[in-house]
Amino acid sequence: MDVTSQRTGGALIVSVEGRVDGANARKFQKAVEGVIDDDRAVILDMENLGYISSAGLRSILLIAKGLQKRKAQFAVCSLQDAIGEVFRIVGFDKIVTIHSSQGDAVAAMGS
Amino acid sequence: MNRPYKILVVDDEPDLEPLMLQRMRRHIRAGRYSFVFACNGLEALDRLNEDGGIDMVLSDINMPQMDGLTLLEQIPKVDPNIRSVIISAYGDMKNIRTAMNRGAFDFVTKPVDFKDLQITIERTLAHMMEWREALSYRDKLVSIQNELEVASRIQQSILPSEFPDDLRYQVYGNMEPARDVGGDFFDIMLFDEGQIGLAIADVSDKGVPAALFMMSCRTLLKGVAIGLTEPGAVLGEVNDLLHEDNETMLFVTVLYAVYNPTTGEFTYASGGHDAPLLIRSDGSVSLLPLTDGIALGVVPELYYKQHTITLSPGDTVLLYTDGVTEAQNTDGSAFEVDGLKQIFAGSSAYRKAREGTDLVFKKVREFMGEASQFDDITCLTLHRDN
Repeated sequence: MDVTSQRTGGALIVSVEGRVDGANARKFQKAVEGVIDDDRAVILDMENLGYISSAGLRSILLIAKGLQKRKAQFAVCSLQDAIGEVFRIVGFDKIVTIHSSQGDAVAAMGS
Repeated sequence: MNRPYKILVVDDEPDLEPLMLQRMRRHIRAGRYSFVFACNGLEALDRLNEDGGIDMVLSDINMPQMDGLTLLEQIPKVDPNIRSVIISAYGDMKNIRTAMNRGAFDFVTKPVDFKDLQITIERTLAHMMEWREALSYRDKLVSIQNELEVASRIQQSILPSEFPDDLRYQVYGNMEPARDVGGDFFDIMLFDEGQIGLAIADVSDKGVPAALFMMSCRTLLKGVAIGLTEPGAVLGEVNDLLHEDNETMLFVTVLYAVYNPTTGEFTYASGGHDAPLLIRSDGSVSLLPLTDGIALGVVPELYYKQHTITLSPGDTVLLYTDGVTEAQNTDGSAFEVDGLKQIFAGSSAYRKAREGTDLVFKKVREFMGEASQFDDITCLTLHRDN
């Protein structure tokens, strides 16, 4: 699991690569929260995320909750098919904003 | 540690005692060391047995009655945590090697350089303290491990171990946790007029917090299911109860169904859980449609849709957790829903609920081979008899 970040068009883009499972979910969450400053919009790019377990989904909820508390926007983008399916089954496609590409996400959220 | 370290000095030369007390007087006055003396190995053993609380032994090798090398062998029998330092003649490598092989921690040579001796004593005591700390951590770890084993037994014991005995249907479930305490469970509830409630659930994450969340989820589900008959309404109510004060953002995916053995009607609602597998009596397999519910515990006041199908005699519904479909083999590929479908597709080899569940476990194990199990594996099978 690897986390990198950049700021584009008023949004912080955090890209996650590899697998997020029970063994590294907390590390993943800390890594993402570590790169978030006082950003108003945070996009989690999952283009290179191959697997996420329910523990990883929980980490995403905790990240989203933290942002929500200070009224910052949060979305995920570029989900691989299998990951999109996980989001759909668990029903998180209804509580987390999903964009098909990073460009779409920035256009929708950036300022 | 507030009391002084107690050091037993063993030497047959009477000069050593006053010399030691004199050269170490500052450390004695400061309350760092206290000394006990013996003039041979036998007397030293008496001191060790009677005096208690001795932290280290500083012993000469050549002594009457019992020499230092024999004493070294006896010390661990009194207390294996005592550390020993040997005083040997300069260059006497043979005895030094023997002493080290018998467990001496270090050695000093004669004539004793007290500055060097003091460094050696400090090093020995530091080592001993680290050792004792490690032992105490190990004991704590063992006790936590024991508690986890108890928790695991409690978890296993809340799972149904007896299954309804009814001529019209069979139901059978099993769960194998990946770690000591898991996050999966299943439940079977018997209602009035012969209806049964079936639940399978998977708490996000594992370990103790997930296990506690799982226990409360199971209790709430059982309580709510008795009062409400519609699976969708049951999930809605349990979701609201779980959501209260859920700062941890733990969530649980639940598939809850009510089966009517008279009509064969199977009504289910999914809270973010994997779709059940329907195996028709002709061997055709398909996933039941999802009801689009969100996992429980995250968002309050949700409406959970439900869906009803009718089982014909000979049909089977298989509920499972993602521990089945996401089980990995040594190549890192997953069992997938296809793996599950393939077990039953076109087959009439099994016709009972227990065989269905057991077959899933068997096939998943075969697929995994030597790979380790990352997630709890749970499967609950309902079969309508002919």
